[in-house]
Amino acid sequence: MRKRRAMSGADAEQTGIDLAPMLDFVVNLLIFFIITAVFVKEAGLEVNRPTSFEQPEESDNESIQIQILDNGEIWVDNRAVDVRAVRANVERLSAVSPDSGVLIVAQEQTPTGVVVEVVDQVHLGGIQNITFSTTQ
Amino acid sequence: MQSRRHTPETEDTGIDLAPMLDFTVNLLIFFIITTSFIKEAGVTVFKPSAVTGFNRDSGNLMIAIRENGDIWMDRRRIELRDVRPQMERLHIERPDDTVVIIADRESDAGVLAKVMDEVRLAGITIMSIAADPI
Repeated sequence: MRKRRAMSGADAEQTGIDLAPMLDFVVNLLIFFIITAVFVKEAGLEVNRPTSFEQPEESDNESIQIQILDNGEIWVDNRAVDVRAVRANVERLSAVSPDSGVLIVAQEQTPTGVVVEVVDQVHLGGIQNITFSTTQ
Repeated sequence: MQSRRHTPETEDTGIDLAPMLDFTVNLLIFFIITTSFIKEAGVTVFKPSAVTGFNRDSGNLMIAIRENGDIWMDRRRIELRDVRPQMERLHIERPDDTVVIIADRESDAGVLAKVMDEVRLAGITIMSIAADPI
């Protein structure tokens, strides 16, 4: 009796399996993935870092040296230059010796902002091969 | 008791759930394939800005350096000597991930250099310094 009623009910619906539990499960999965999704992407500048065993001078003899003092002064080619002049200086020096990389030597107390500005200017000057090192 | 409650429910059907299920599964697939399990640093720092910064898709491991020299990783403050073991563990889990170091613009370059050394010793050679596009 009961069986027949259930069957007639199923006939009236004309549906297959019940999708509601599956939907519950899928919605739960969906909520999990939504709350764990992180869409943070950081743009960044890539620099090389010499290992402490290898001297930076050894790897590239002709590299252009840029020194940054902890007060933010930038020295290129034995002259103190403004951060906006770094690009021009790098372009000039790389025209003299193409394929040379840039070695940035910063004092340890230098603000990172200055270092990143210099790296940016060197990139704008057309050199991607930048090595970053620090001194006391 | 149970059967009486059960039968009326099966008989009066509500809306058809199949289209909703289709839609939900599509959303689910979207979120699954866009999930990349980024390890956030968990602290906000004042990033330097640069024109030539670019996004690397594998840059999923983030280390933040605050202006006072604190190092943050995975929403926790860690010591410099802990950077290497943490990085080694994460590098084994997902070898293709690269590191983004989010250094405050007032933080010392010396700390940045030390963190870069530790990351490098952990076996991750590709790393970048985060910068805001201007």
